[in-house]
Amino acid sequence: MKPAPFEIARPREIEAAVALLAEGGDGAKVMAGGQSFGPMLNLRLAQPSLVVDITGIAALKSVREEEGAIVYGALVTHADVEDGRAPDVGAHVLSRVAAGIAYRAVRNRGTMGGSLAHADPAADWVNALSALGADVEIAGPSGRRWLGLGDFLTGALSTALGAGEMLVAVRVPKVPASARFGYAKHCRKVGEFAHATGALLVDPQKGTARALMGAIDAPPLVIADARELFGGRVDAGFAGRFDATAAAIALFDAGVSDPVERHIHVEVLRRAVRQADGLFSPQSSPSSRSAA
Amino acid sequence: MNAPLRASGTTRTVALTLNGRAVAADVEPRTNLADYVRDALDATGTHIGCEHGVCGACTVLVDGEPARACLSFAATCAGAQVTTIEGLDDDEVTSELRAAFNREHALQCGFCTPGMLVSSRDLVLRLAEPDETRIRYGLAGNLCRCTGYAGIVKAVASVIADRRARGIAPVTEARALGPVGARSGEAVATVPLVVEKAAPPAAATMTISTDFKPANSFEQSFELAFPPEQVFAFFADIREVAACLPGAVVEAMPEPERVEGGMKVKLGPISTTFRGTARVTRDEATQSGVILGAGADGRSSTQGEIRYRVLEGAAPGTARVDLTVGYTLKGPLAQFGRPGLVREVAGRLIAEFAAHLEARLKGAPAPAASSGGVNPLRLLFSLLAQRLKALIGG
Repeated sequence: MKPAPFEIARPREIEAAVALLAEGGDGAKVMAGGQSFGPMLNLRLAQPSLVVDITGIAALKSVREEEGAIVYGALVTHADVEDGRAPDVGAHVLSRVAAGIAYRAVRNRGTMGGSLAHADPAADWVNALSALGADVEIAGPSGRRWLGLGDFLTGALSTALGAGEMLVAVRVPKVPASARFGYAKHCRKVGEFAHATGALLVDPQKGTARALMGAIDAPPLVIADARELFGGRVDAGFAGRFDATAAAIALFDAGVSDPVERHIHVEVLRRAVRQADGLFSPQSSPSSRSAA
Repeated sequence: MNAPLRASGTTRTVALTLNGRAVAADVEPRTNLADYVRDALDATGTHIGCEHGVCGACTVLVDGEPARACLSFAATCAGAQVTTIEGLDDDEVTSELRAAFNREHALQCGFCTPGMLVSSRDLVLRLAEPDETRIRYGLAGNLCRCTGYAGIVKAVASVIADRRARGIAPVTEARALGPVGARSGEAVATVPLVVEKAAPPAAATMTISTDFKPANSFEQSFELAFPPEQVFAFFADIREVAACLPGAVVEAMPEPERVEGGMKVKLGPISTTFRGTARVTRDEATQSGVILGAGADGRSSTQGEIRYRVLEGAAPGTARVDLTVGYTLKGPLAQFGRPGLVREVAGRLIAEFAAHLEARLKGAPAPAASSGGVNPLRLLFSLLAQRLKALIGG
């Protein structure tokens, strides 16, 4: 239960980290907060020769606001979002997701960028930020590039990061005042990786909805135009028209062949739909925990 | 399993503040904060349980906030303010919690207690009111096997209620963005000396049990634009088939039906090489076959089988290959097995295999990136490894 020996480097600039990664080749691995990678090291599932610890890079510990979006540095932690030190993209949109990630002791070191780069299909940021249409900034030997999360996540634990590349920022579109975000997950034990995740970004004024079913052992299933899940249109009565069969068919087409699994994923999406609907009434405030 | 680490790599001096005192010790890069305080500084109040972030026994304060000492390498916390249970003797909240734990019988063996107190202290500071559900959620990352939690929850609730009644408001300390404990990095010019890796395990002589019953199984199929007879004939040449499977190597074929080799697997941060033996049989009459194999990567061992059948495809002159994959995994990898994830990765692998196969049938050379393979099962088994299922969420 102790890691195999490795060397560690703590650069203070992105360029230095990229150079180390490029030079270190296959044996080099980025580590941010280390809350997912740490267990893999301790269990010797991962045995890199060089760990490039990027937590010493100040440039990654920042947040900036852009027109219609907030850009989070890769090292913004779950607790930073939970506590509001990093601004939210809408009322309690990300803070609610953050508060449900693992445990507080993990959230104090685990990072948004690390979670996305780890690309566990059941991870909260992988799913919530895919539902919100985020994209990520990648730094590498040939400069910077932006990629939509849908293109970034290529499989279970697999991303589009190439040799010498690292994730440096995450741009999340702001949620308009007319929209609501529902997010639900199913865990048998609080804090464990989800067995099913559902999310809905819905804007009845504009008639748009974007739905997600995640933790399907593959990158999440994102339904960018989710009107089909609500009888072909999105208006104030959308939740009452939630079409479980349409959701199940979408899952089946995505390769979820087990009917029990499909049932669980559809039910969790239904909870996200119900939650989003409830958020339109002024009194209701979302529970900070979605695992219950 | 929690034995102290014997130094076997390079060491570096890590200096930080422990319980208000400046300390320094020479440790390896792989030394976690819990081993650092326990072994190097004899502060043994911090306990180590699961060592993968689940049990919470090692929870300490880093820059005043709870963090997992087992998931924080000491070298990444250089310069940090670390507070362990030994440093909380005179802490006001912890003193109140100690009295409450005593009163409510909130401990028995005491193993979880240091971490439990650190997490409880955090809840007392942050929670507005003694809400039982929120306390239980907040303590979900600290496992106690003695008390059933009732006494612990009561103790924490009573301290919160008492403090709020005394007019002490909840607080979340102001702090900078980013992981607690992480100070500025160094000027790093070149890659440090790379750690010598142990050689991969020698080709093991694995015993293939004949009455194998797989613990998990799933089915996959793919289509090829070639007649079934041609596809089935191609499957007779193990080396040709192996050339289509990324990461696999045929080392020897001591008998026509026996293959020895290995499979290098890389997925995310996980990289391992399974080596072993496979027995390959085929039945001309039904155009079907069985690959039965066993392998090991030095820590985990696997046995599995692939049953395949070549059938007529949907269009005339095309083939469909149906695969039934069954496997059993033993050893440390087994606890992470998640059949769904194996299927997903198998799907990607089989698609790649099918594309290479079709190219070979068209007469194209073996794909350069792939170096041949014996038994996709070994890959599937090792892919189980990736799953840190039921561990900390992300």
